Amino acid sequence: MVDGKNRSLFKDKPIKILLAKPGIDGHDRGVFVLAKAFRDAGMEVLYAGLLPTPEEVVDTAVNEDVDVVALSLLNGAHMTVFKKVADLMKQRGIDDIALVGGGTIPDEDKPSLEAMGISGNYGPGTPLSVIIEHVTRRAEEARLKKLR
Amino acid sequence: MLSKLYNHTGKAQVIGITGPPGIGKSTLIGNVSSKMADMGHRVAILAIDASSPFTGGSLLGNRIRMQESLSGKNIYMRSLANRGARGGLSESSIGSTAILDAAGFDTIFVETVGAGQADLDVMDLADTTVLVLGPGLGDQVQAIKAGIMEIADLFVINKMDRADSYFAMKDIEDTLAMDDARPFKREVVGTTIKDPTTYQSLIALMAKHGNFMRESGRIGEKRFKMGLRWMLEDELRARVIDPLMKRIPPNSEKKNYYDLMATVGQLFSENLNKVLEKEIV
Ligand SMILES: Nc1nc2c(ncn2[C@@H]2O[C@H](COP(=O)(O)OP(=O)(O)OP(=O)(O)O)[C@@H](O)[C@H]2O)c(=O)[nH]1
Ligand SMILES: [Mg+2]
Repeated sequence: MVDGKNRSLFKDKPIKILLAKPGIDGHDRGVFVLAKAFRDAGMEVLYAGLLPTPEEVVDTAVNEDVDVVALSLLNGAHMTVFKKVADLMKQRGIDDIALVGGGTIPDEDKPSLEAMGISGNYGPGTPLSVIIEHVTRRAEEARLKKLR
Repeated sequence: MLSKLYNHTGKAQVIGITGPPGIGKSTLIGNVSSKMADMGHRVAILAIDASSPFTGGSLLGNRIRMQESLSGKNIYMRSLANRGARGGLSESSIGSTAILDAAGFDTIFVETVGAGQADLDVMDLADTTVLVLGPGLGDQVQAIKAGIMEIADLFVINKMDRADSYFAMKDIEDTLAMDDARPFKREVVGTTIKDPTTYQSLIALMAKHGNFMRESGRIGEKRFKMGLRWMLEDELRARVIDPLMKRIPPNSEKKNYYDLMATVGQLFSENLNKVLEKEIV
């Protein structure tokens, strides 16, 4: 497993990640599995709570100065809800926080999500190590922008 | 950059909230902050969670307990991991309080990891230290009280909705009755989420202590001293200790280590004396 702490960029300040399931999706358990996995990989993990609005997600991400926001949805509303979050970030000129997605996302939607800057978009059953590696890579990009 | 900021600070009341895990600190801070925001205060919250000493990772769980009371209230909340820094107080929290103070927040809550040294550390930062206790702590309470009773300014018995909370209340009242003459008379209040009006008395008590600190000119004093200490320690290390260590010749078998130490030590103390002879004010 990739240890976020050992990459020199994150030596003094570990990756800070916000997990959010915005919109109308009451499934919670998967988020906690992910939260623990990220923590065990050396990250500082925040959970945005059940059903935050896209505005609340962006506010929290900014106030907490996270490196990555991980959005997940299992009800198929990703194209609207994820887009709302990405749009809000763009409107507010935030480019030093990476967006990653996950959930039940059909392959044909992935290119347009990628175009919005939402990468990853892994489905259920993806090995945690793959997700952690991806998040770490995106966090590195974000952190470099914060430091510039 | 921080040294510039300190010029603008010293207006805010920093309130440290400490107490055993799960006693209701985050819930309380959320509710109290929300009421204070309604009263026109500008409130900020720093909540510190423990990091794993093994992976450095942490679950920053305090936010979730406050989220609901804070939403739509224009309260700034930031979660910090203690990253194993001195006690539980995340090293960056001292910088963060200075920044928040300078930014015009008048009340800054700091929630600490409810454990031993961490609780004592918050007092190096806070103008007002609130110790939150509650029912059902049993012997645990004795251990907690040992270090912190002396230094806490205010006491809260939370979860007053639970029957056995009155014993906890009585226990603190008895202890406070034995307080010697202190410049500020310490008090205890009961709070419960079941009756949000109970938070009002805590708010009043915190304000009372804040006024006492302001009137005696001591608001921000501890923070200033601690910030200065850290700044000096860093400076000393970077400007003196590290360069001196580098100047020790690599091939020192030829030299006597004790002679080297004596030379370096003398150099150090001579120059230090020059610094110390200067008057500060
Ligand atoms: N019965 C009762 N439960 C409460 C009260 N206040 C908080 N709780 C509950 O106590 C639990 C812990 O609350 P938190 O606010 O997270 O406690 P904490 O002291 O911040 O916990 P840590 O940060 O983990 O140390 C939650 O389940 C709360 O709902 C209260 O007044 N009465
Ligand atoms: Mg808490």
